[in-house]
Amino acid sequence: MNGGFLLSWALRGYTLLLFVFVFAPILFSVVFSFNSARFPTIPLESFTLHWYQTIWADPDVWTAVRNSVIVSVCTAVIATVLGFCTAYTDYRYNFRFKSAYMALVLLPPTIPLIIMALAMLAWFSKIGASGQLWSVIIAHSVLTAPFAMAIVRLRLNQMDKDLESAAWNLGASEWRAMREVIIPFCKPSIISALFLTAAVSFDEFAIAWFVSGLNKTVPVLILEIVQGNIDPQVNAIGTFVFLVSMTLVIIAQVFFTLRQSKAFS
Amino acid sequence: MSSTKAPARKGFNGYAATWRFPIIIWQALFFLGPLIFMVAMSFFLVKNYRMEEAFEFKNWQKMLTRGYFWDSYFLTLALATVSTIVTSVLAFPAAFALAFKVSPTVRRWALFLLIIPFFTSYLVRVFSWYVILAESGVVNALLAHIGLGPYTMLNTKFGTIVGYMTLTLPLVVVLQTFALANIDRNLVQAAHNLGCTPWRAVYRVIMPLAKTGLVVAALFCFILSFGDFVSPYYLGGSKPPTLPILIIDTTKSGQQWPRAAVVAVVMMVTLISIAFAALALAYRKRASR
Amino acid sequence: MSNPLVEFKRVAKRFGDFVAVKSMDLSIDPGEFIAIMGPSGCGKTTTLRMLAGLDKPTEGSIYIDGQLMNDVRPHERDTPLVWQSLALFPFLNVRENVEFGLKMRNQDAAVRREKAMDWLDRLGVAEFAGRNVETLSGGQRQRVALARSLVTEPRLLLLDEPLSALDAHLVIRMQSVLTKLQRELGITFVYVTHSQSEAFAMADRVVIMSDGEVAQTAVPRDIYREPANRFVAEFVGRNNIVSGKVSAIEARRVSVESAMGQFSVIADEGRIPAAGADITFVIAADLVEISRTPGDAENTVACSLISEEFIGSVVTLFLETADGDELKVQLQERELVTLDHTSGGTFFLSWQSASAHMLPQ
Repeated sequence: MNGGFLLSWALRGYTLLLFVFVFAPILFSVVFSFNSARFPTIPLESFTLHWYQTIWADPDVWTAVRNSVIVSVCTAVIATVLGFCTAYTDYRYNFRFKSAYMALVLLPPTIPLIIMALAMLAWFSKIGASGQLWSVIIAHSVLTAPFAMAIVRLRLNQMDKDLESAAWNLGASEWRAMREVIIPFCKPSIISALFLTAAVSFDEFAIAWFVSGLNKTVPVLILEIVQGNIDPQVNAIGTFVFLVSMTLVIIAQVFFTLRQSKAFS
Repeated sequence: MSSTKAPARKGFNGYAATWRFPIIIWQALFFLGPLIFMVAMSFFLVKNYRMEEAFEFKNWQKMLTRGYFWDSYFLTLALATVSTIVTSVLAFPAAFALAFKVSPTVRRWALFLLIIPFFTSYLVRVFSWYVILAESGVVNALLAHIGLGPYTMLNTKFGTIVGYMTLTLPLVVVLQTFALANIDRNLVQAAHNLGCTPWRAVYRVIMPLAKTGLVVAALFCFILSFGDFVSPYYLGGSKPPTLPILIIDTTKSGQQWPRAAVVAVVMMVTLISIAFAALALAYRKRASR
Repeated sequence: MSNPLVEFKRVAKRFGDFVAVKSMDLSIDPGEFIAIMGPSGCGKTTTLRMLAGLDKPTEGSIYIDGQLMNDVRPHERDTPLVWQSLALFPFLNVRENVEFGLKMRNQDAAVRREKAMDWLDRLGVAEFAGRNVETLSGGQRQRVALARSLVTEPRLLLLDEPLSALDAHLVIRMQSVLTKLQRELGITFVYVTHSQSEAFAMADRVVIMSDGEVAQTAVPRDIYREPANRFVAEFVGRNNIVSGKVSAIEARRVSVESAMGQFSVIADEGRIPAAGADITFVIAADLVEISRTPGDAENTVACSLISEEFIGSVVTLFLETADGDELKVQLQERELVTLDHTSGGTFFLSWQSASAHMLPQ
């Protein structure tokens, strides 16, 4: 009994250590972004906002942020629309080759990004669309649509199977039922999907690096800075990127778990 | 018995098509198209820095007969394998604790925390490791306090594996926890009742029951490690380069896209074989003894 | 007589290889309360869904008000359905749920609101108009679902086991709400259920379905007293079924030789069987007399008691003849006192020849 008790606490302690490993790099990045030392190590030197001032003043950073915002927003919208259509099709219809259809939709995230990056680069040059911001948007939509699909599909699973029929029964055409019942029911998951796909797109660097040409996004900019040398600027940009993606992921999570309670409204 | 489907109408159904076809067209144009083109590209020729569409085996010959290609290949395979084993082993006790030793609320929060890194910049985290593991970095500074080191951790296989784990460990813990939490507790109880010691129960009952989930987690770990270029490049020193680095070098510096395509196709074939093998193992019925 | 409101003509419905409805003929008059009853999988829900246009008949035709409905889509007909799951919209409040049908008909917001409130009021749930449907109790939600279906003032209301999720005491209350509503509105109710008590308590006519076919359509009393076939006799009520051979015929009085003994049955005019023919007849358990002494009744069987079942004030006794054939008697609990049934021994069951109902062969 005593041994079991000890083991149990050892396991919990171990798990805690594992969390330290997972979150240490994030934590260090944040801490060092406020540290004045040129080479980040301990003991810490004085507190500074210098690195933030540097990136604030850097027009390249601003361009990259603008590009990243455009790419994330457009990707989120396209991927969520595509994901929603697919989730609804999967929920509602059975047809021949449906498993092939689902595989086609769900496969992209399992293929190494570097391979997708090369394939996209070659394909976009072939069709004369390389080096554009929207080539990144297209590539990211392919990559993130399955996430959106999964989120919406899980929500549809929670729907009373008679709900859509009930709308038809009360005089709604299929289109009207989509607008009045399916979409309102899925709304939290749609919002969740928008934020999550935006987060994935905002952090993706391999494909963006290959196909964006001169239109660098923030992760591509980081990649290029890191290639040069150790520059604590990266910590400042990194902290900013973490902040953005965490916010997006947390919002997504909140909407994902939100039970639609309009009680006493 | 009764279905939720609307009455089937013969002929074209505009409503159904609206939801079904966008993704087919999109994926055909921007997912299948690129992949198929990449395979075709591996047979193209490059003359005067310009790609010519052809059907020649030159690139394949060139790549597959070079020693450095095979060095890269086996290095990548070995690194990904080690990463898979190390990550799976290190993740298991934590997944076990999350599945069996904590309350559902704690488990939910832990899983949520573990999902966050998956959606935050891997690049910045690896750069952070670079700083932490450096000769004059945080780890060595800490070790110096107790009179150890400094150790060289950057530009080593160790560094690469740490980097891989940054990417894979949270995901593997999450997948393993799901696999373990879905086990029927009664079976574990039964094993204990039948006099199974806790260790034997883990090995004989829990692991076989969670096998599918554990194998799938390992498979994801392998795919991610195998395809990652950031860790072997920044933390591993890229000597010799892994296959993903080879793709980047060949594409970015040499303009030899067809040769990069050869590397990519070899990677795909390798991954598909391993995925099939792993899934066959995962879903195989346990042989009777 | 007015024309039927609903007509099924040789309707069949198959899902792939599965036959849900084999061949169905049924006509329903305006203002009727029809209950469709049968074991699960008998096709009763499919029948209802075909009426609502949610399933399309594979064969045959369905008419509503003389109009062929086979190709009319669900939203183009006015056949509201009260769902077993209720299927209230969780993202709308009570009033918005009730307004839904009117909104789909593009009615004015003010009119919608007024009508919805009228119906909520009529069903006694107006005070919850602004509430989320999930905060309501089962019975309250039931009323909201009814209001939502009735707000468009349809001529036909379909109900799919609407009371199956309610507690027993609420079922009785809702039954009277439903019958009262149906009488007041004078519209047609088609009510699918597997519960005999619901069907018999409310319906004008009951349709018994079995294996995708109509086994019998009749008023509740006839279903109970004069089952049309063996399936109905076994499915409905507590019936004793006896098979034998005709040994003699004397006007309408038919003598039957069975394993349990010699009985006589009064046959209907025009359905008098031939001597020597196989015959099956039914005696409802509540028409059987039980006694400790043989007496001189015409049909008497000696039995021993196996078990008993109490449902409120009614008791069913299960008895067995010397050959092991089982018979049932239903009586009032207070009648047991005189019987001294716990002490074992022999009991004598008897019934009047006129109580036995002959099944068609």
